[in-house]
Amino acid sequence: MLKLRYWVIYLSLVVGIILMILPLPEWVHIYRPHWVALVLIYWSMAMPNRVGLWTAFFAGILVDVSQGTLFGQHAMGLVIVVFINQNFYQRIRVLSLVQQALYVFLLLLINQVITVWIEGYLGRPTPFGAFLGAPAIGMLIWPWVFITLRDIRRKAHLN
Amino acid sequence: MNQLQFQLRGATIQAVLLVIVCIVLMFVDQRFNHLEVVRSNISLVLSPLRYLVSLPAQTGNWVGEWFSSYHDLLSENKGLKADSRIINARLQKMQVLQAENTRLRNLLGSAARVADEVIVAELLSVDQNPYRQLIEINKGSLDGVETGQAVIDAYGIMGQAIHVNQNTATIILISDPEHAIPVQFIRNGTRSIAFGNGSTDQLELRYLPATADIKVGDELVTSGLGGRFPADYPVATVISITEDLVNGFVSVLVEPQARLDSSREVLVIKPRYSTLPR
Repeated sequence: MLKLRYWVIYLSLVVGIILMILPLPEWVHIYRPHWVALVLIYWSMAMPNRVGLWTAFFAGILVDVSQGTLFGQHAMGLVIVVFINQNFYQRIRVLSLVQQALYVFLLLLINQVITVWIEGYLGRPTPFGAFLGAPAIGMLIWPWVFITLRDIRRKAHLN
Repeated sequence: MNQLQFQLRGATIQAVLLVIVCIVLMFVDQRFNHLEVVRSNISLVLSPLRYLVSLPAQTGNWVGEWFSSYHDLLSENKGLKADSRIINARLQKMQVLQAENTRLRNLLGSAARVADEVIVAELLSVDQNPYRQLIEINKGSLDGVETGQAVIDAYGIMGQAIHVNQNTATIILISDPEHAIPVQFIRNGTRSIAFGNGSTDQLELRYLPATADIKVGDELVTSGLGGRFPADYPVATVISITEDLVNGFVSVLVEPQARLDSSREVLVIKPRYSTLPR
């Protein structure tokens, strides 16, 4: 029974993947935030013993397959983001939502830099607006992600 | 404190290892094909998600059809009947022409070209990576789709299959920045290569000499060179010609005939003959 509750975590990651492949008009989807990164940041902050580098790695591989990118492209960014988060989460957890959002922006930006760098290496330039836009939208969405996932976590009695 | 430091160091080693694994994976994935099997298997597991995602659009279509009025259907039906009459009439002529063509080809001693077999497929999803132009269709290796087969819609060439799973296949559109397709002008037979540039309404012909005889409105078909695409399918129409006087080239923008951003039904072409040039 105890094990069952942890499925909430994986379910939220799957929902993240769905949100990332949901069809949107061209001009919106450039600014689509990295939902899986947001969900991973939350869980690795709330439950660092349960959600760590390996979760990030496998979630990243799934994102890579669903997005048609190279194996490991998203996985690498997510592993690095979760690793940074593991080192800082104790200090970040106590901050206000707004301050947290700034921190999340930084993490998403790092993730974006890695992705853009790989895309650039493959010869696919990224428009500058998309480069900064997606993390910025992610930052604005963070408070809602945080509150939603926190409520889900409490409902599922996960600590 | 010591234990915490120890844990952190362990995590660091793990993180570095995972990053290295990712880099190796990326390298292998880009250079070789070993990971195709893994990708298609994971893709199979993820396919319910794709269906789920395409559900709202499909429901929308279905509801739209349900509520379209009797009158609309009637007029559509009439229009379709008229169309089919015209097409049938053309087809009769076509058969005569085809027979004549075969006869002439026999006279010339060259191989007769047969009509291609097609697989009808439907669009499942559009790949969300803004830097690529990929689509997913609902037919896969079980239906006979193979990597490299050309995909068309009712108007022209759309792209070719690049990953094939059991029940789905990924199609790279001709507008993808990494795609190029060998083409030929109908009017004068000039050959060129049309490169995708990432937008669904134009392709580029690069490095044509400034003296090339090209006009706005010229039509391009596949040349069949390179062995990937079957010959003589419509590809694009010339929309603009810019002269690069310094280098002596013209850069030509062409508009794809296929409705790359709105076609839902596509055909996968199964070549029955060797695709070598005539």
